[in-house]
Amino acid sequence: MEDFLITTAKVLFIFGLNMGVFAPLLTWVERKQSALMQDRIGANRADILGFSMIGLFHPIADAIKMLAKEDFIPEGANKIMHTLSPIICVVPALLTFAVIPFGGEYVIGGKHIKLVIADLDVGLIFIFAISSLATYGTVIAGWSSNNNWSLLGSLRASAQMISYEVAMGFTLVGVFMVYGSLQLTQIGAAQESFFRWGIFLQPLGFFMFLACAIAENKRAPFDVAEGESEIIAGYFLEYSGLKFGMFYMAEFLEIVTISAMVTTLFFGAWHIPFISSALILSMLSFLNETLANIILMLIHISVFWVKVIFFIWFQMTIRWTLPRFRYDQIMKLGWKILLPLSLANILVTGIVILILQ
Amino acid sequence: MELLIFFIFGGVAVLAAFLMIISWNPVAAVLNMILVMFCLAGLFVLLNAHFIAAIQILVYAGAIMVLFMFIIMLLNLRGNEPIWKSRDKNVLLSFLGFLLAVGAFIKLFSTLKASGLNQGTQIGEDFGTTALVGKILFTDYLLPFEIASILLLVAIIGAVMLAKTKID
Amino acid sequence: MIVNRNITMTWWERIYLPEIFRGISVTSNHFFRNLIGFIPALLNKDKKRKIFTLYYPDEKVEFPPAYRGRPVLVVDENGTERCVACGLCEIVCPAKCIEIQPDETELEKERYPKSFSINMARCIFCGFCEEVCPKEAIVMSDECEIADLDRNKMFYKKDQLLISKNKLQKRLNYIKEIYGKWNY
Repeated sequence: MEDFLITTAKVLFIFGLNMGVFAPLLTWVERKQSALMQDRIGANRADILGFSMIGLFHPIADAIKMLAKEDFIPEGANKIMHTLSPIICVVPALLTFAVIPFGGEYVIGGKHIKLVIADLDVGLIFIFAISSLATYGTVIAGWSSNNNWSLLGSLRASAQMISYEVAMGFTLVGVFMVYGSLQLTQIGAAQESFFRWGIFLQPLGFFMFLACAIAENKRAPFDVAEGESEIIAGYFLEYSGLKFGMFYMAEFLEIVTISAMVTTLFFGAWHIPFISSALILSMLSFLNETLANIILMLIHISVFWVKVIFFIWFQMTIRWTLPRFRYDQIMKLGWKILLPLSLANILVTGIVILILQ
Repeated sequence: MELLIFFIFGGVAVLAAFLMIISWNPVAAVLNMILVMFCLAGLFVLLNAHFIAAIQILVYAGAIMVLFMFIIMLLNLRGNEPIWKSRDKNVLLSFLGFLLAVGAFIKLFSTLKASGLNQGTQIGEDFGTTALVGKILFTDYLLPFEIASILLLVAIIGAVMLAKTKID
Repeated sequence: MIVNRNITMTWWERIYLPEIFRGISVTSNHFFRNLIGFIPALLNKDKKRKIFTLYYPDEKVEFPPAYRGRPVLVVDENGTERCVACGLCEIVCPAKCIEIQPDETELEKERYPKSFSINMARCIFCGFCEEVCPKEAIVMSDECEIADLDRNKMFYKKDQLLISKNKLQKRLNYIKEIYGKWNY
């Protein structure tokens, strides 16, 4: 019963944070950040009783607008699949968080608590498996809309996602070769000391993973699948109202997921550089064990989310900095550069590990 | 509880497989097949084989079926096209399929009868983990593994050669 | 369109990553500069932000004197318009939007427009009327918010066009300088 409650609390925490904080807030962040980067002011018109709060009410206004809009299904569209595809898009983005640890292991009230919803032995493969399902959302969305632009967008999306999935898988092989585990909690725990962080052990892997992950998420510079200027909006062209909002929600949730994965795999998960958790515990030794552990847990959780927020910022910066790749450039980058490089990365990592043994 | 989950997964798998066969719409058939893959993965999880389950989703549902979908969408098959309808008139193929199904069922029942139901086997603590699967794959089953990889390599080279001759 | 795709990139550019970081550093530089520039504006309403964009209806741009807004009639210190209803602007107007009815007056200038209307729906803001006016009586102001939903309201009558000289001083100085160059 206690375990059940703890797991429920964890699920509610992650779900609430993602759906309640990140998904709505990122719509605001994207507008505001792009505005600041381009010397503009950005969204600030929505207000409640005259308080505009630097535009923080815009997500609420957006939500109300989307709820009030007509839910339009085009003629000749497959109604079931048209309705199903936004859900297929959102669910994988949320599911991947099940295996990402947002803190270490703590002893609270004589109970060992791991801050991860499901500590799977195959964590990384689980993430790949689930995120590869997100392809169906876009593919079915484009196909079921009965619109040429949508179909073109979904074809582009599926080809791009298949191509980059392969490279993404290979880039992370290096990571779990170094840490000797697929379990994300173990990978996180192995990065206790600063110089064991993934970015130092797998620098090439980090850049390649980030590129592949952004391509998987179909955001600029890899957003030919949406390409407003050429195929209008691509696969979600025929969507309106909340279904349209769900595609955006999926995109933003995926940003959070990518940031969390990058943090966990390459940037020391919940660890603070040069300050080990044992040091914090010894500093808090005047408190009793449970209280000290709770404080440590809160520190670790906030450190983790600060890192995640930094990478969200970084992804947004990339999105508003780089122009869109041409389609052949995307394919070339995926198959001719990233894939061989990731294979070479595996080879070099293997050789280095063999030498060090 | 476990039995209930087993029956849910199994039932959905059988239903989805049936729908896959009877549906006129190729995309719906693909989606049903993905559902079958999912249920199989669920059954693997029930058998403590998490690795196989994840790989099942990753490879079959995540990669191969996407390619199926891709090709179906490229061909833009619709349910009412004459080519698509002709499949139920092909007597020879139907007969062969029927024979294959009967053979498979006979084999299945004979194996079940030989082994006997309700006979649990003891499995180790680390059964189904990535480490154990890897170890078995690279020691006991090294030859089949290598043969499979060479087969895939041949397929890749063949595909490249076919594509190349088309362009020239 | 012919696109030159034979741009040779240097080895450094072809690695791609350094150039990406250069771009990111430029944009994030802007981001942080504006982010920090916002803080004084948030705390104190009077402080100026470093961003060029304005909250338009709330804040307005001060136009340079060369800006040609809607034409207005200048009112002198003694409270009467300068216009002598000579009709030159009416003739020169390419859109034919000015309509003047002259009348006689006891004042020194002897003539004045009894009615003076400009159809702002037709006006093309060319500034010919200003240029041709011998008395500097009609000038282009910096007003540009003249949109209306009703066409009849776009007929600006004389009382709507009269604006005192002090408000137009900048423009008057400007036209004196700029037309003076050509020895009118």
